[in-house]
Parts: sequence; structure tokens; C-alpha cells
Amino acid sequence: MREKSTTLYIGPQHPGITGNMMVKLQVEGDTIVKAETHVGYLHRGFEKLMERRNWLQSFTIVCRICVPEPDPNEENYSRAVEEIEGREVPERAKYIRVMTLELARIATYLLWYGGQSGSAGLLTMGQWSVGDRNYILDLFEDLTGGRVYHMYIWPGGVRRDLPEGFKEKALRTMDYLEKRLDDYDKLLFENSIFQKRAKGVGIIDKNKAIEWGVVGPPLRGCGIQSDVRKDDPYEVYDKLDFEVPAMEGGDVWTRALVRRFEIRQSINLVRQVLDKMPGGEYYNKIPNPHKWTIPAGDAFVKTESARGEFGYYMVSDGGNKPRRVHVKGPAYVHGITLLENLLVGENVADVSFIMNSLGTCPPEIER
Amino acid sequence: MSENNLHNEQKLLNLLEKKFILKGGSVRRERRVEVKVEPKEIVPVLLYAKENSGYTAFTHMSCVDWIEDGEFEVVYILWHPEEKINFFVKTRVSRDNGTLPNIDFIWRQANTYEREIREMFGIQFEGLVGREEFILEDWEHMPPMRRDFDTAKFVEKTYFYRPGREDAKDVREYVQERTDEELPDFAKKYSRD
Repeated sequence: MREKSTTLYIGPQHPGITGNMMVKLQVEGDTIVKAETHVGYLHRGFEKLMERRNWLQSFTIVCRICVPEPDPNEENYSRAVEEIEGREVPERAKYIRVMTLELARIATYLLWYGGQSGSAGLLTMGQWSVGDRNYILDLFEDLTGGRVYHMYIWPGGVRRDLPEGFKEKALRTMDYLEKRLDDYDKLLFENSIFQKRAKGVGIIDKNKAIEWGVVGPPLRGCGIQSDVRKDDPYEVYDKLDFEVPAMEGGDVWTRALVRRFEIRQSINLVRQVLDKMPGGEYYNKIPNPHKWTIPAGDAFVKTESARGEFGYYMVSDGGNKPRRVHVKGPAYVHGITLLENLLVGENVADVSFIMNSLGTCPPEIER
Repeated sequence: MSENNLHNEQKLLNLLEKKFILKGGSVRRERRVEVKVEPKEIVPVLLYAKENSGYTAFTHMSCVDWIEDGEFEVVYILWHPEEKINFFVKTRVSRDNGTLPNIDFIWRQANTYEREIREMFGIQFEGLVGREEFILEDWEHMPPMRRDFDTAKFVEKTYFYRPGREDAKDVREYVQERTDEELPDFAKKYSRD
């Protein structure tokens, strides 16, 4: 007998949804037969705002595009400006940038630990990991003055040099986090509830993944080695030693394992960067921001953020304001076409579980 | 970067030049190839890149309003997962009633990009099926990402100040009134508009 079909609306305000967006579900029993993503609750028109602000004023806007991980936005924006203008960046600034990006990646993964386990009902994990994330935010506060939004990586380099004693403090934090990760494993990865919820759920087809536009940990969770840090190296990633993990499976479980591996790798990268960081200048000064014009041209730059490939397409018409800045976040594909397809056939209770595993972030969909 | 290292980039460009009528093409730098085509060549070029040249990943699609030329420039960005090259396909359409072919049968995620560009710029895509509204709800005005859409004017006209905040104005105006002093407006002074 065919079960009666019901329409369910999850979001825009819902603790299981990763931000302000709505998933409209058609369910039969508790099985999803159709899913539609609806956005529009968070549109702040950043791209339009940037067209009316000069190059430096626009820089202060971009970090607001993503709350959990603002730094790839800043880095992308700065690198796009530098590419069009041909501005050199001091070597030390590149190392500091990589350190900032890796710290941001660790912070984002710690937040992800909370979201992923919380959506499975395991609430202790989030208390631990979000608490430990504060130690990273402390480092950011020392370095940039801001805990969440940093406005630190700007065109020409970075805004400040490392403060006194920062290196030692950062290394101490990394040592502490590395020890904590073993506790996390016991709490989350060895937990049979999490294993049963995660294995075989939200499977992405490996053969279709690249064509569907899957990026980042979800793609590596399908067994495909793909990482912008290796494929299109930026800053000083080509001088650092790290691996791209890839695990076969394509489900929530392998995506979680990939992140588990990467957080350790990021800790290692921070140590490497602090060890290899050269001295010298950290900023190639820009001219008076009101008079600062960028030659006409366009650039597309990419960064590997914690959620996947993050891109900026920037166009300059030779003026003192951007002609167009188009932000491409991984959620633009993950949160719409991929999510709508993955949810079909899944259980209603797994919606936010799958969303968290994809790293859906609505502010990237509607910039 | 020596010529030799750009071998893969140049290979794609040579193939496309033989097969299609290009309006322009260049190797921008390492891992960046760009071609310019007419709108009717978009589908053949993209299909050729995907099926024959290995550009299987659709990375991005963007639109730029060149109001002074009366044209929109639409950019398709593809990615070659093995050779690690980003391939840009650029085309231009008229700002008035510009129409482009729909490509969501090649990459289904292009559907989202096309719906957004339709809504934000007003470019129509032939045969595009998808929910009419993407981000904007009940929008009756000019597509807002067009250069001639003035956000400040729209806000002034559409919204009202919260009761008690009718006098909300630029803080510089207050300073000028109180001190009777002309304050320089740097943003205006150096603006190109």
C-alpha cells in the first residue's frame, strides 16, 4: 500500500540546519522522496556592496561572508587583487597567511565536530570541541585583535607581524590539541551510535562526484585525491610537506574520517610554518586607499577551505572600486544540487546529519 | 614560467582554434587558459571540453555587467582534474533581452548558477527549467545586480525609517551643523564617479 505523502519544512530557523535556509521535504512515512533547498533568508548583497566601495573598504566586507571560517575569503580577495595588480607579497607574509589559514581550518573542524555529533544527538562532543576552539580564537585575538572576524590578510601581505611570544603560545596550543584529539576519537569515532548513524548514510557516487561539482572533504571521502593546496598551489603550500587523504566509501563516515585526519595534518602544518618562517617584511604597502586604482583585468583564485574549494572571480575596470567580485563557496553546489539529490531515499532524522557532513553554509549560497 | 611548462595549456588552445571559430584565446598564465566565443558556440565548446578534452569539472559561472558597452559578459570556468588547468570560456550578450543557451544538461549544478544570473541580471536561458525564485522573493523591480540599479535610491524609496529614527542621517552632517565647519568628504573627492 502506498503511504500518504506529506510536506515538511525544515528551517529557516531550526537547530539542525546549518544557518538560515530551508529544506522543503516530501516524505512518505519517514523516508524522503523529494527535497528542495530554498534560500533567500540571508541575502546581504555583499557583491553589490563591493561594487560601491573602494578596494580597501571591500576587503573589510569579505570576511563576513562566512562566520565559521572567514580567512579563506580574505586570502582569496587579497590574492585576486594582487594577481590583477601584479603586487608582490613578502615571503614572511605568505608564511603567516598559511598559518592563519591552517589555524582557521582547525577551528572550523572543531566547530564541525560539534555540529556533526550534535546532529546525531551526541551533545558532549560539541561542548568539548567548541571549548577547545576557543584556544585557537585566543591565538587569533593575539594575532589580529579579533576572535571571529580577523580582517588580517589584506592586499600586499598581512596587517601585523606576529606578536612577541606568539610562536611559543601557538606551539603549546598545538601540543594540547593533538592530545585532545585522542579523547575526541574515544568519544566520537569509537562510539557505536555515531558509527551506526554515519556508515552507509548520504552516499555520494564516486564516478559522478567530480562532474557533480563535489569538492573538499566530501570529494576526498569518495576516494578521490583532490586538494587545491596540491593541485593549484598558492602562497607557500608547495614548500610544505603534507599529504592529501582520500578514503573510499563516500558516506558520512568517510567524510568524518577525512576531517579527522586533516585536523592532525593542519596541526603539523602550523608547526612546519612556524619552524620555517623567514624574517623580514610582512607587508608591501599599498598607496592611499582613496587613490588606489587597480589596472583593468580579471582573475580567478582558489583556496582549499575546510569545506572545500573556495573561489573568487574578480574583475577590475581600472578604477578605484571592483567592477565585480563573485564569490564561489563550496556550499553553492553542496547545499543545493548535491543535497537535493543525496536526501532522496534517506530518513528525515538524517537531514541535518547529512547537511553537517557536507559542510553546508548558506551565506556562501547567497552572498 | 618557460614555454615548455605551458604545453598542456597551449594544446587545448590549439585544438579549439582548429575546431571552432574563436573571437580570442590566450594562455593567461600557468593553469589558466581563456577563450572568447559567440553565444551560439557555448554549448559545442563546453561539450567538446568535457567529452574530448577532459575538463569534466564545472567550477564556476559568473556574469559581469559592462553597461558602457551595453553588454553582459558571462564566464564559464571549467577544471581539468588530471592536468590541473582552469579553462575560462567567455561570451558576451546584449543587456537588452540577452539570451544564452542552457547548459544544465551538461553539468546539472549549472542550473543554480543560471537561475541566479537570470534573477540578478535578467539574462534568459533557453529552456531553463527550475523554480522561478531563487534568492529574491516577489521581486518586481529591475534585476538588482545590474550596474544601473541604485541600491541607496531603492532603499530610500521603498523603506521608511523606524518611528523615532526619522532624523537618522550621516554623522558628518551632525558635526557640520554643530561646529559650523565644512568637513572634507574624501570618498567623494577621490571617487571616479
